This record gives sequence, C-alpha cells and structure tokens, in this order.
Amino acid sequence: MIAALIYLQYHSFRNRLVSRFKRLQQPKYLIGAVVGGLYFYFYFFRYLFRGFGGRPMANLAVSPEHLQLFESGGALILFVIVLLAWIIPHERAALTFTEAEVAFLFPAPVSRRTLIHFKLLRSQLRIFFSVLLLTFFSRRFGGNAWIHGFGWWLMLSTLNLHFLGSSFARTMLLDHGISNRLRRLLVFGLALALAGGVWMWAKQTLPALGPADTANPAAMLDYAQRVLTTGPALYLLFSFRLMVRPFFAPDAPAFFDALPPVLLLFLLHYLWVIYSDVAFEEASVEASQKLAARVAAVRAGNWRGMKENQKARRPWFKLTATGPAATALFWKNLIGVGQVFSVRLGITILVVLVIFGFALNGQVHRQGISIVVAFFVAIALVYSLLLGPQVLRLDFRNDLPLADILKTFPLRGWQIALGEILAPVVVLVAFQWLLLLVGAGLLFCLPVKQEALFLAIALGAAFLLPVLDLLLLLIPNAAVLLFPSWIQTGRDSPRGIETTGQRLIFALGQMLVLVLALLPAAAAFVGVFFLLNFTLGPAVAVPAAALAATMVLAAEAGLGVMLLGKLFERFDVTEEQTS
Amino acid sequence: MVQVEGLTKLYGEFVAVNELSFAVQPGEVMGLVGPNGAGKTTTLRCLSGIIPPTRGTVRVGGHDIVRDAIAAKQQLAFFTDEPRLFDYLTVWQHLNFVARIYQVPDYERTGRELLEELEIANKRDALPGELSRGMKQKLAIACGLLHSPKVIYFDEPLTGLDPLGIRRMKDSILKRARDGAAIIISSHLLHLVQEICSRLLILKNGRKIIDGTLDEVTRKFSEQPGDANLEEIFFRATSEPGPGAPAGPPPLPH
Repeated sequence: MIAALIYLQYHSFRNRLVSRFKRLQQPKYLIGAVVGGLYFYFYFFRYLFRGFGGRPMANLAVSPEHLQLFESGGALILFVIVLLAWIIPHERAALTFTEAEVAFLFPAPVSRRTLIHFKLLRSQLRIFFSVLLLTFFSRRFGGNAWIHGFGWWLMLSTLNLHFLGSSFARTMLLDHGISNRLRRLLVFGLALALAGGVWMWAKQTLPALGPADTANPAAMLDYAQRVLTTGPALYLLFSFRLMVRPFFAPDAPAFFDALPPVLLLFLLHYLWVIYSDVAFEEASVEASQKLAARVAAVRAGNWRGMKENQKARRPWFKLTATGPAATALFWKNLIGVGQVFSVRLGITILVVLVIFGFALNGQVHRQGISIVVAFFVAIALVYSLLLGPQVLRLDFRNDLPLADILKTFPLRGWQIALGEILAPVVVLVAFQWLLLLVGAGLLFCLPVKQEALFLAIALGAAFLLPVLDLLLLLIPNAAVLLFPSWIQTGRDSPRGIETTGQRLIFALGQMLVLVLALLPAAAAFVGVFFLLNFTLGPAVAVPAAALAATMVLAAEAGLGVMLLGKLFERFDVTEEQTS
Repeated sequence: MVQVEGLTKLYGEFVAVNELSFAVQPGEVMGLVGPNGAGKTTTLRCLSGIIPPTRGTVRVGGHDIVRDAIAAKQQLAFFTDEPRLFDYLTVWQHLNFVARIYQVPDYERTGRELLEELEIANKRDALPGELSRGMKQKLAIACGLLHSPKVIYFDEPLTGLDPLGIRRMKDSILKRARDGAAIIISSHLLHLVQEICSRLLILKNGRKIIDGTLDEVTRKFSEQPGDANLEEIFFRATSEPGPGAPAGPPPLPH
C-alpha cells in the first residue's frame, strides 16, 4: 500500500517540477529565475562549499570553550519550541491532507498507520527544502555544510515527530476530559516552576551580577553559560542538548559520536507517533476542507479569506447615500483596515519598536525614557514610510480580483483610483502625524537647545508626509495594474526562485521610480531653503522649503492618480485571466 | 434599451466575439445560449463595460458604453455566475456602499424590502464568509437591484440556488421585465430559457447563429411545426456535422 502512496508523492513532486521548468518558457519567469538564482548564489550558495571562491561572511565556527554555550543556547531554543507546542495549539490531532487525498485515501482500504507514514513521508519533502535553506544560511557563518545539513535534518525531523506526537497526546487528554485550558495551565505552571527553580538555584549558587557585568557582554555570556551548563538547567536541557550536538560538531568524528543518542531520540519519537492510537480522520477531513477553502480564497484573490474568525467591523464614519461616489470606496477600504489591523498586531508592533528603541538607546547614551521615546518615534516614522505602503494593501492590490465588479460602477477611472488608495494614505498619515506630535511634545522634556528648528522640521515633515505617502502608494498600485501577472495579487501564487527574482526586480523598479519622482521635489526644497535660509533663518526656511516640495509632490501625485485611473480604465480583466 | 452593432472582441488573433448585432427592448427577456467557449460571458462583459470591445458599439439606454460609460453604467446591473462580494463588508454595509456608488437616496427602505423579499433580512450584520452560496447570490442580487436598473444581465443566475430560490429568481426576473427592464440571461439551462425568455440568441465560436423570438427560432429549426423543444433546437443550431454524418444532437444513452 505504501508503494502507491510513494508513487503519488513521487509523481506529484515530479509533475510540479516539470511544470515549474515549463513555466520558464515565459520571459517573466525566466528573467525572474535568472535574477532569483543570482540572488541565491551570491547571498547563500557560494558560501555552501569552499573552493567556489566564496568565503564565510563571518567565521563563527564554535570554539571548544564556547561549544557548551552554543549547545545550551540551541537546546534552550528547542526547549521553548517544544514547550509552546504543548501550550499554544488547541485543536484535536489532524493530519493535514488535501481534499483529493481525503477523497481517495480515507474511503480506501488504507490503515491509519499507513496514513501516518504517508504524512511523515510527505513532510520529509518540506523538511528537505527547509534544511537546504537553513544550511545555505548557517553555512555563511562557517562550519561544514554536510554536518550542518544533517544536523538541521535531525532537529527538524525529530521536532516534526514531536509535534505530531504532542497533537495525538493532546487529543487523548481531551478524550479523557482534560480541557485545553487545564492542559495549558498545567504545562505553563510546570514551565514556570522549572524556570523558578533554575532562577533560585542561580541566585543561591552563582555570584550575583554587578552593574559593571550587565554592561559587559562577555560577562553576561559567561554567566549565561554557567546557568545553563551547571545545576538544574544542565539536566533540564539534557535531551535537547543531545539534539543540537551533531549540528555543532566541529568535524566528522565528533558528528558520528553525537549521532547515536539523537537517532535513539528520533526512533523513540517515531514509535510514539506510530503506536499512538488516536482517531484523527474527522479532524483531518475538517482541516482539509479549511485548507481547500483557504487555497480557493487565495486563488480567487481573497487573501483575507485565509483569516479565520473574521469579524464584522463598524464603519469609521457614516456613509450617506449622496455625495462624491468615490467616498464609498474610501469608506469600504477603511472598514477593511480594521480587519488587517487588530489590537494584537498593534501591540506587537509597539513592543518590537520599543525593544528596538531600547536596544539602540543602549548603544548611544542614556538620558531617560524621553530619549527612548524619541528613538521610538524616529524609528516608527522611518518604518511607516518603508513598510506602511507594503503592509496597508487595502487598495488595488487587494481589490484587483474584483476589478470586473469595480468596472461596472458608474465612476471614472481616476475616481476609482483615488477612492481605492485613499484609505491607506489616511491611516498612514494619521499614524505619522501622531508620531510627529509625540516627537514635538518630547522637545519640552529633552535638553534640546534648538527647539524652533526641531519644530520647523516636524512642521515640514507634517506637510510632506501625506503627499509622500500618496506617492509611495501610487507606485505599487500602478505596478499592479501595469504588470498584474508579475505582482502577485492572489489570483495565482506561484512560488520559487523565479518569484523571488520577480519581487527583487520590482523592488528595485519601485525604488528607481520613487527616486525619479523625488528629484524635482528635492530640487524645489533645496532652492527654497537656500533662498530663505540666509534671510529668515532655518526655522522659517525648512517649513517653507518643505511646503514647496509638497506642492511639487502634490502635482506629481495628482498626475499619478489620473494616470492610475487611465490604467484602470484600460485594464482588461479577461486578457489577464487568459494570459 | 440595449443596442449592439458589430460587436467584436479579439484577444490577440483569437476572435472571442465576431460582428455581433442585436437589440433588446424594454420588457424583453433575451436568452443568450451557446456551447462552452461560444463567447457568452465575453459578450456580457463587453455589454456591461467591464472590458472594452475591439470593434462595434454597445448602447445602453441610448448611451454608448465606451464614450458615455457613466450614464450607461448608471442604468445597468450585471450579475456574475459567482457572487463577487467584499469579504469585510456586512450584508447591510454592502447595500450602504452600493447606495453611495449609485446615489440611491432612499436606499434604506428599498434595501430593507429587498432583503425581506430575498429572505436574508436576518443576515443583515453577517459577513459574506458567514453566508451560504445561495445567500451570497441573494446579496449580490439585492446590491444589483438597489438602484432599480433598467438593463439587467444575468450570467447563470440559478447557480447555487435551492428550488425555492430558483422559483423566486424566475418570478423576480419576470417581474423586472414586466416593470420595463430589458434583461439578458446567459445560461446553459435551456428549460429556464424556454420558460422565461421571450427572445433567444444562439452563439457559437463568437458568431451569432440566430436571434429572434422563441417562435421564430423554433420555426427555423423545426422540420415540422411543434416537433422540437429548445434542447433539440440548440443541438440542431450548434451541431457541426462532419462529412456524411447526420445533423443533430449526440444520441442519448439507453
């Protein structure tokens, strides 16, 4: 029976590969493949094997004195991953099959164990590609490629078995009346108790860290090494250390020495999974249906269809039935913003930015929380310009699969274009102006001497940001209408090196267009600034120059909206679908 | 109400629709039928301004769909075979949105009536993801009818509807026609076409095979009066007999 499943797996893989190669006959994929291949070569592949002219970017080969620390660090990461696998998931065990596999295999005389074997076999393909990429990456820091590759494979394969086994165990616990909440509480409590035990032991046994030590990375590493390699952590992380040891082996003999315990762990996990008698079929059928629905949603261009538990959002303002019709598109997309931005995402971004701000602050100087907030504001502003237009895709990039519906609306192209891109612009500008206000408020808390100049810069930025955002959003929207099959809007989502290449080409193209668009505005800024700086001073010259640049950018953006509208009017939905 | 003259749509060298001319008057229901790939959907897309015709003109209510697109589109509604909805707008928000697009001042009353008529009033605050296929279809219909269009195109309107929904949909189409709307229905369901259409246009390979009232079409393809139903007529009209082969539909299995 397993031979038939291997046949299925082999031919599916082979046919997929053949279709990938056939796709290269199209120039867009061929060019993408060349660029993507060059990127992978220069960034990863030339570091894989020595003798190809590539040198490791940094030799972080593990020295014997740090081997234990590296092993312990790796073991700690694995420990956390395994712990999370016991805490976070809530669903019953479900082996993910496609709908076709469910339709063919579940009614067929195939045992549950064979299905598990099939699932394990299929996951090996995914693991193989992950190992390849991880080896490309880790090899850049030195070490032996084969040892890294096998090390990654052992870790990922054992983890894969562990996730499967833990899902079976979770189902068994549910069947015995132990709820998810109770399980999470127990595992989390156990983890806390273990962490508390290690902390208590370290506090009582090891010499406390002084203020000088906390500023010294070497002292901190030394302390971490002692905590992880002596006392309870040594035993707690024992099996995890065994798992990472082959990866860190400096040579082949050390690798083969480290191999038997890991293989034993792997075998034990395999037996655990194979002999778990858990019914997964019902949950698998449900999971396959969800998977199929997600795939269908994505192929239909509905990326948000991937999100589960989507909730209805209240509109940001009341939309009356009369007035400019394009406002309806703006109103609609603002509601969509609520779907993209959850409170959880907002908190995550905030935490990441604050941590980043603290990290940077530690490297500069310490002048209290105001400096940290100032860093946070500056970083958030820069990131809002760089990432904002990429994250906020509630425009043509999202609605293009519904272009035929938009085209039936009695609106001109420029009205649809403006209505489509206005929502992300407004959200971005609101966020950026808020940051500027916070930044301006900080001037009163910091020992800044040139408050007027800083306020002038903030005012200039407030002028510039809306048109800059508009321009930054116009470029990808125009690109998606000009080259819809290059930019993945969700109708089809091919993957691979060629897609990476396409994205690189587009990123570079967008940057080039932006630079060209900014040049006239920069010239206006410089001209006005030099004209006024000598007579009225920088506090007046900066906002005035920014205003001049804003006007230039606004004219460009206005033309851009008209052009985008024309592009949309000419956009032939059917040609794109049939090409 | 709808006047089509010399409509041609090319994709490269492929001719999707070829020199198509016809007219649909207010109160008429025209069935657009043909085998797969005949060009039915392309025709409807050209008629609704979704894609530009390569040649020819389409006038909706006297307005050219290319030159005077806004005025033409204000009068029409196009129902695609798959209901196309915004997945983050609720049922009512869809109506609110459409009301602004088409400037329908009293949309709240009309919208409530439509939701009642289509039996989805209790789903007012539901997202499309929470609706069944049939309910999504009904929502798309409510959105399309909100601005009381004078010209309505349906592409396979009965897909996904239950028997009661099918009955209601037929009644609704006939009611709109009685109220003076010009309706074009593209469908493979020949019994639907026979039941509710007053005119018929048969397409094949982008070309018009015949266009006329049901009686005219029946007369042309019947050897004797009353000897053929629409299915027979369809096969006779669209079959391409090979050398020596008799014209007509493929034989039914016994």
